[in-house]
Amino acid sequence: MRVIGALWLRNVRLFMRNRVQLVLILVMPFFYLYLLSTAFKYAEVSNPYTYVLAGIVIIVVFQTSLNIATNTIDDIVSGYMKEILVSPVKRIQIAIGQILSSTTIAVFQGVLILIAGLFIGLTYTSILTPLAILGTMLLTGLAFSSLGLFMAAAVRNAQTFQVLTVAVTTPITFLCGVYIPLALLPAGLQAFSLLNPMTYAAAFFRAVSLEKLSLPAEQLVSEQLAFKVGSFIITPGYSALIVCLFGLVFLLLSTSFFSRADFTRMSRSGSKDIFQQ
Amino acid sequence: MLMMISVEHFTKKYGKFTAVEDVSFSVRPGSIFAFLGPNGAGKSTTINTLCTIMEKTSGTLTIDGKDVSTQTDAVRNVIGVVFQEPTLDLKMTVEENLKMHCYFYNLPKAQFQERIDFVLELVDLKDWKKAMAASLSGGMKRRVEIARSLLHLPKVLFLDEPTTGLDPQTRSNIWAYILKLQKEKGMTIFLTTHYMDEAEICDQVAIMDHGQIIAFDSPDALKKQHARDVARIKTSNQSGLERLLAEEQLTYEKQDQLYVTEASDLEKLLQVIKQHGPAIQDLEIQKGTLNDVFLNITGRNIRG
Repeated sequence: MRVIGALWLRNVRLFMRNRVQLVLILVMPFFYLYLLSTAFKYAEVSNPYTYVLAGIVIIVVFQTSLNIATNTIDDIVSGYMKEILVSPVKRIQIAIGQILSSTTIAVFQGVLILIAGLFIGLTYTSILTPLAILGTMLLTGLAFSSLGLFMAAAVRNAQTFQVLTVAVTTPITFLCGVYIPLALLPAGLQAFSLLNPMTYAAAFFRAVSLEKLSLPAEQLVSEQLAFKVGSFIITPGYSALIVCLFGLVFLLLSTSFFSRADFTRMSRSGSKDIFQQ
Repeated sequence: MLMMISVEHFTKKYGKFTAVEDVSFSVRPGSIFAFLGPNGAGKSTTINTLCTIMEKTSGTLTIDGKDVSTQTDAVRNVIGVVFQEPTLDLKMTVEENLKMHCYFYNLPKAQFQERIDFVLELVDLKDWKKAMAASLSGGMKRRVEIARSLLHLPKVLFLDEPTTGLDPQTRSNIWAYILKLQKEKGMTIFLTTHYMDEAEICDQVAIMDHGQIIAFDSPDALKKQHARDVARIKTSNQSGLERLLAEEQLTYEKQDQLYVTEASDLEKLLQVIKQHGPAIQDLEIQKGTLNDVFLNITGRNIRG
């Protein structure tokens, strides 16, 4: 436990030291908020500002979770991973430390934007709403931090990881209804967006943070907080379940993948020994 | 006597390529042991397997009586490792790097500060505790890594080419630290190097080539067996020198203007020099080196 705590603290500290990154991550969402709330006026949404803001908060949680996995790549490339691996620390402890720290950072980012959001008209009627919001952010953070670690352990190379992150982040970001209302997407992409776990995370998070969980199903569908597949309606409850399942699958995948990954092949010396013959 | 490190019939294959083939050796507690050989000889593969971060293909490897494949945690607790490539966390301070190591090895928190001060003292870096690791010079980073590897007081210290890429002064400093450690702590030191002079200091040397140990002994014994001291003489009176060498029954070969002859029997050589004195234009006596040993066994230079 102590080791996980130490690894967690290290990653959080590394993040806090990067001031430029901190400021940028805080400023960018408001740029998007301004841009998008205009666009969303055309969608059938009662309050575009808070609707868009909720989407942006959860997308920031998602993007941060995935980006912080770069820490793992950095540690592999810099050689520091070897120092950890040769010590009695269990691999599962390293994996958990990584996932927890990137979840923490992601939720921290989301909370900062939410606090700023309070000044532009975000209000809650129930005391439970902020808690539910925090819980949803934690869940989303855990799910996508696991995905991030899985990708890092699978790739173990800085350049490939960068390309992969963009390739994974872009469709997930743009086909989840946060930046572009799903109703405005062509039919093919709409179908694709239903395969996107972030669609459900965003829908559930919006329903929770806008306190719309108890709306009738038809209205949820029209505000794109629920989705109609044939005659079946994916309610926010089902959305939460989907995110949970997705998170669980990748939590298991990432920890088992990380535990078995061969990091020695990454080292320059390792490959030198093989190929210089 | 129980051996600190024992390797029996160790083989490591990467697919079809055999990096290490049926290697066996053992290292006495408290000694300095060197793996000598060119790049790609299988030194790092052996060290990585002993350090539990690489799986063997076959064989039995033990450290302090514990199997490196099945008792990994027990092994990891008694070894300290300085890898060939840098493994410092450059975004953290020296102290934070050392602290993380204390956590990794589950040391009691009350001892952190004391141990950190102790190892930094050892490598003369006490004033750099708060410095960012990235701001240190190459030699200082190496010293921090050595200090770090000692925090948990390992019984065996692995040094994979600890001085490669460092300037001669830093190299000799680092060696001074290593020798001090070995003397004070009675630590077993296992290192790989391709610097001959470094291998000379060791108690035992294993020369490795193409995944096999081709010689194993103390540096002196190896040199006695596989290398010879030679004298190179340049003379203005070639026929005179040839006659003298024949008289003393010294074999020689002629390389351009130089006569190269065996110098192990100093008395005979001195006779030649005394009598031939005024005609000698140049004289060089060269002691046998571990490179000669390598050359004589493999027919190649170690750096070739």
